[in-house]
Amino acid sequence: MPAVLHRVPPGVVSTLVALIVWQVVGSFGPLAGDSFATATEAISALIEFLGQPMFWTAIWETIQMAVIGFAISVAIAVPLGILIGLSRFAYRSTKFTFDFLKVIPPIVLIPIAILVIGPSLTMGVVLIIFANVFSVAIQTAYGVRDADPVLLDTMRSYRMGVTKQIRYARLPSAAVQISIALRLAASASLVVAIVAGLLGGAGGLGSLLSLTQSSGNADQTYAIILLLGILGIFVSRVLVRAQRRIVFWSGK
Amino acid sequence: MRRVWNWILAVLIGAWLPILLITWWWNASATSENPYFPPLEQIWEQFKLNWFWQYFPIHVVPSLQNLFTGFAIAIVAGIGLGVLVGSSPVATTYVEPIVDFFRAIPGVALVPMFILIFGLDSAMRIASIAFAATMPILIATIEGVRATNSVLLDTAAVFQLPRRRTLWRVRLPNAMPIIFAGLQVGLQIAFIVTIASEYLGSGFGLGAFTLISTDSFLIVDAWTGVLLLGLLGYALSLVFDIVERLSLRWYYGQKKLA
Repeated sequence: MPAVLHRVPPGVVSTLVALIVWQVVGSFGPLAGDSFATATEAISALIEFLGQPMFWTAIWETIQMAVIGFAISVAIAVPLGILIGLSRFAYRSTKFTFDFLKVIPPIVLIPIAILVIGPSLTMGVVLIIFANVFSVAIQTAYGVRDADPVLLDTMRSYRMGVTKQIRYARLPSAAVQISIALRLAASASLVVAIVAGLLGGAGGLGSLLSLTQSSGNADQTYAIILLLGILGIFVSRVLVRAQRRIVFWSGK
Repeated sequence: MRRVWNWILAVLIGAWLPILLITWWWNASATSENPYFPPLEQIWEQFKLNWFWQYFPIHVVPSLQNLFTGFAIAIVAGIGLGVLVGSSPVATTYVEPIVDFFRAIPGVALVPMFILIFGLDSAMRIASIAFAATMPILIATIEGVRATNSVLLDTAAVFQLPRRRTLWRVRLPNAMPIIFAGLQVGLQIAFIVTIASEYLGSGFGLGAFTLISTDSFLIVDAWTGVLLLGLLGYALSLVFDIVERLSLRWYYGQKKLA
């Protein structure tokens, strides 16, 4: 390998190679044609989008859905999870139900949601809440239950009250679990916001994608998919960093 | 005897809430006039009529066929490529950013791309499912193979184990717990993309049935579709858990000892 290559970050090299392969395959491969966009076509379509207000509206709508849905999920699921985690009976009673609801993807509910709520931002928000509430609540409850038993016994023998036990033992233990659950929920919120737009007509980038595909515009379709990838990577990087800052004692 | 009692107690504690919820739904909806929330009894009657077994071969079987074909391709491609890439640190540094990029795109968002290429037939569905499900499996395999315990690898080298046997006997078994985590995510994605490909591409399949029922205001039918999809989603994760427990028995045994 030439020495120059070592100084360039590997991500840059592989991105360039991938773009070249994409361009060549798109131009000369068996897929070449109107139904397949090459790298240059997709990128120029993306740049063209940047000048259009409706594109920014779509991004804004998707982010709005994701943020509102995420915020409401957290406001419901974290207190609920803490309450459940404080009682062994409550934890064992809800475990099966929540585990069941947690694995059902929100996409399943889209046909009913279209009927009951109608294709709107609200529908996207409701689907995001359904996607997050059960997994965040169950993981929060697990974190609360998982507090160090020796620490709890020590606190009890010093006659520290239940509130202090919650404040100094249960919550710090739960915080690590909660932060992991919230990071996953935040990524999921973005994905569900996009999917709700694409399949349920809830608006945002998903709806824009469905529009470009049904009008057969390959360049714009690829441009949006490209943007979704960039957005996804960006969001997950930010979230990992935020998590490290906020629960710095977890060592993760 | 004690164990049996504990088990019965656990089942009872786990069961009262879902039973309460279903009973509440059944009674609260019994006299429902709201067209969107028909009585659960009516949904259940229609459910039995639709899925035992009138529509089962037309709508459920093709969905499952696509799901499992796509997932099988994803397993082979994901583990195969993952082993190739993960065994070489140089390849890993260069390939990982690309895989990360594709992983960051929601699987469902790739379906429009495959519709443009393949049109609305089964090839489109299988290709979307396979592509989307490959990513988490590939990432997990790269991670698992790369993270093989170096003492094990050194031991294999000292005994002059051929590369192929090191791979089959040392690297792959060690990577299995991580690969299974990737397979689990992959199966979830495969299920979601299966439904999405049916929502978007008109025609057959359980997703298409449900959405078409909604569009033609056959609300009870739509509810039976949603219920069956939900149950299928849960059943898939349950079966996966069992397969994982059985395949990784040695691993859980080790963890218990440690």
